[in-house]
Parts: sequence; C-alpha cells; structure tokens
Amino acid sequence: MVERDKIELLKDILFTDDREFAEKIARRIETIEHTVNEQEKLSEKVKPIILKQLDEFVTEIPTTLGPTITATLKEEIQKNRDGIVDALYPILGKMIKKYISQEIKLLSEKINKQLSAKRWTTKFKSWFTGVKEEDIILSETSSANIEQVLLIERGSGILAASYSKTETIDKDMISGMLTAIKGFVEDAFGQKNQNLELIEYELYNIHLQSFVSYYVAVVISGDYNTKAKDKVQDLIFDFYDDFMGKNLDKIFKSSDEKSKKMIDRESLEKELVLKFSNASI
Amino acid sequence: MQVSKKIVVLGHFGVGKTSLIRRFVEDSFSDNYKVSIGVHITKKVVEISVGHEISLILWDLEGTDDLKTIRDAYLLGTHGVVFVFDVTRPSTFQGLNTDLEIVKSKMPSLPLLVVGNKADLVVKKDLEEVLSKNAIATDFLTSAKTGDAVNDMFLKLAKLLD
Repeated sequence: MVERDKIELLKDILFTDDREFAEKIARRIETIEHTVNEQEKLSEKVKPIILKQLDEFVTEIPTTLGPTITATLKEEIQKNRDGIVDALYPILGKMIKKYISQEIKLLSEKINKQLSAKRWTTKFKSWFTGVKEEDIILSETSSANIEQVLLIERGSGILAASYSKTETIDKDMISGMLTAIKGFVEDAFGQKNQNLELIEYELYNIHLQSFVSYYVAVVISGDYNTKAKDKVQDLIFDFYDDFMGKNLDKIFKSSDEKSKKMIDRESLEKELVLKFSNASI
Repeated sequence: MQVSKKIVVLGHFGVGKTSLIRRFVEDSFSDNYKVSIGVHITKKVVEISVGHEISLILWDLEGTDDLKTIRDAYLLGTHGVVFVFDVTRPSTFQGLNTDLEIVKSKMPSLPLLVVGNKADLVVKKDLEEVLSKNAIATDFLTSAKTGDAVNDMFLKLAKLLD
C-alpha cells in the first residue's frame, strides 16, 4: 500500500460519520424544499376555491342564516317583550310626546290666528283657488318662518346687528358660540374656502351665509325646504348688498375721518327689520 | 354706542380660567372643578369711565399644556388676551416665557395680561420669591375664590382696549 492509499483509507475512517450527517442534512433540505413548493402550488389551487366559497357564504347569509336570526330575534322579543318595551319606551315616548306637543302647539297657534283676522282671507282664498279651507290652513302651518337674524363679524364673532321676533338669551353670546362652532367645523375638516352653511336644531334651522368680513345667521322655524332656502338666500344677499353699499359710501364719500366708519348698529338693525320682519319664505 | 371687544382667556388645565370668568361675570365661585371642553363664551359690560361702557365678550378656551395646539379659529379677531397660570403648580408657570412667546406669535401686538391665580393659597412673600427665581413677571395675582384683584384685572384690560 502506497503512502497515498494509506491517507485515503485514513480519511475514510475518520470522516465517515460527518459524511453521513451531511447527506442527512441534504435530504432534509430537499424534503423541505419539496414541501414548500408543493404548499405554494396547493395554495394557488385552493385559494380561488376558498374565496369563491367565502363569497357565496356572504351572499347567502340572508337566505341561509337570515330566517334563523329573524326567528331567534322574534322569539327573544316575544319572551322579553316587557323588557324591550321598558328599554325603548322612555326614548320613543319622549320623542313622540315632544313632537306631538310641539306640533299641537304650532297648529293651535296657527288655527287661533286663522280663526281671527285671517279667517276671511282664507275663505276668500279657498273660494278663489278651489282648495279646501282646511288644506290652506294646514299648508300655512308648515311654512317656514324667520325667527331671528344676526349679522356677525367673521373671526371675532362680534355681533354687528340683530333682529329677533322673540326675546332670546344674550345675542352677543349666541354670535360668539355660533362663530366658535363654525370655526371649529371649518377648522376640523381643514378644507379651504368651505363654510358651514346649515345647523339643524330640532324644529329650527340656522342658515349661515358667509361673506368676506361678516356672515349672516338666520334662524328659521317650520318646514325649511329648498324653496324657502332659496328665498332666505335672496333676502340675505339683498340685505348684504345694501349694507356693504352703504358702508362703502360712508368710507369713500365721507370727507371727515369720524364719519368714515361702518354704519352704526341702530341703522343696521332698522335695515334688518325692514328686510326680514315681513318677509314670507 | 357700546363697543364690543373679544377677549380670550388662555392657560394650562385647571389654572382657574373658568373660575376667574365666573367670578368676574357672576360674582360667584365653586370648588367643584369641571374641565372646560372646546370653548365657552360669556359677556360682561364694564364701565371704564363715567358714561363710557365697553362690552367684553369673554372666550374661555379649554386648558392645554401645549399652546401650539390651540385652534387658530378661536383666536381670530381677538382684541385682548389674558394668560392665566396657577401659582400653586410650578408646571403651569415654569415654561411661562416660552408659552407667552407662542401666544404672542399667534396674536401679535395685542394687549396681554399675565395672571397668577389661586394667590389665596400661598404666602405672598414666598410666591414672589418663586416667581422671581423663575424670571416670571406677572401683571396680576388673583384669587377667583376670594375675588381678589379679579375685577381690577379685567377692568385694566378693558381700558387697554379702549
């Protein structure tokens, strides 16, 4: 045996275990590779089936589970009718009570008015148009009415002038709060040149019309529909046009500095009364 | 003709902004602390000289530790500012000069009063020492609880706005 063969034999004896170990690892890697590839292939095949089944499941819920859910709910409601009524009654009751009392109040106020001075006008209107007298009265009860108008400085929220049918809480505070709400909403949504235009408050709507230095808030009761909205907008634009026109005249045509100021609150309020107090919308 | 001026009252949480306004407007005080949310607006007419009145519209803004977060919409058109801190809580005045810089950057060139509130709870001498140590200059030390210096403070601001 030559020297070289001896070394080879020695190598064989020494590295037998290592070689076997390496071969085992290679086999394992091969198995893992195979499994991964197979899983990917399997997933590719199975995924569309699962998705399809899921879609079908979702679309079929109303037909498959719907009746069961409805039946269960019905049964539960029948079993616990008192409990459910107890829970809902205060909420629904308050809503209905408030709504009905408000409606009756409005109706009785209108009818009282109609029965006095306007009665003959209504009768005449009914005879002339052929519409029943009750229908005319009812249609008038739901019409929109201007309750309050505020001319407010933008930003500061300081009240420049106001007109109100009835006494309310301090108008300066209302102007401030409206401005804060308006500012908050406009700020929160972060849209430039967008303004809060309407606030709904149960039976009232607050229409907000913004201009550059001021905005006008009109509080409306009754049915505030598109037609009424359109009329209110026209009234506001007319008023504002006059108001700004007079201001510009005062500022530019006046020779002395003292009178180069905005028109005073008193004149503005007269203007508001003139424009809004008898306006029908 | 009565002129209206918008005043904003600012400061950290719980320094007594609402209590100061309540004391000034309603002349009342309550120990029951309620956090102000958003903004609350009140009004008081003050006579700054015989026959000359000014209507102060007071915007009580919710307290905040970071004055940068105050909504700019609430500060628009402001005529005067009251910055309130709590003399019993160093955290409300330790960064006062930085806070004032922020206020001034948001509302430049406006009359501004710095007010240390709850002065009834500390010894005046000790308080002055603490404030001087922190390099804090105040315009008024008030107490919404006792009413001390509250009217004077708002009256001074009204005069500054006239």
